[in-house]
Amino acid sequence: MNATHLTILLFAGVAELAGQRELSLAWPGGTVADLRSLLRQQLPAAEALLARCAIAVGERYCLDDEQVPPEADVAVIPPVSGG
Amino acid sequence: MVDRAMQHTARGSHDAERAACDGTSASTRLLRPALVEGPIDVEQLRREIGSDAAGAVVVFVGTTRRATGGAITDRLEYEAHRPLALVCLARLQDQAVRQFSLVGCGVIHRLGLVEVGEESVAIGVASAHRKDAFAAVAWLMDQIKASVPIWKRDHLADGVARWVHGEERPA
Repeated sequence: MNATHLTILLFAGVAELAGQRELSLAWPGGTVADLRSLLRQQLPAAEALLARCAIAVGERYCLDDEQVPPEADVAVIPPVSGG
Repeated sequence: MVDRAMQHTARGSHDAERAACDGTSASTRLLRPALVEGPIDVEQLRREIGSDAAGAVVVFVGTTRRATGGAITDRLEYEAHRPLALVCLARLQDQAVRQFSLVGCGVIHRLGLVEVGEESVAIGVASAHRKDAFAAVAWLMDQIKASVPIWKRDHLADGVARWVHGEERPA
């Protein structure tokens, strides 16, 4: 299987727990749920917070059963606290 | 800091395009949302959303509080997923204009370090009558706190700094 790479942006508490603001993953394709599973493996220190994060692909938040295409702009969005 | 004069010029054609697309009045002063690194010019926001069509202008300003429960804050630090936050804010402003029949709307959020007492967010709306303006400001602030990808880090007086995250997934 030809895996492409996804670059995933991390923010706030997730970036702090991960010790990095970007994560590059080999991505054979799959759903948001598949990506969540991969993120839990890659970032065990952030597991509890990841469960409360949204996944944004491009300019919107995605549901767990949506596909994440190769080369997509992906971001992990922890519970927000603006204002 | 964004050059506000340039931004203002850019807004003219942007507003006309948007008005043509969604049916809002061409005279609606729908400002582009802004994320700024320095102090928020609240008076400029108020001026930019005001017009002859407005009978009410409400500007809400969120400021950094010293005490939350037992914790004492020295300063807050904000970060954002900038492109996504700007898209989310623009969508919320569009919706607020339609839902509350606004004739003016602008949101400015600060990023970086914000000292106690300083403004972290300003929401300005203008409408023909005051009830719509009050309701729109409250609605916009609730939506921003629930869904726009901006986060605050609380720098406490005891030297600890912690990211503030609620329980809910942004949606």
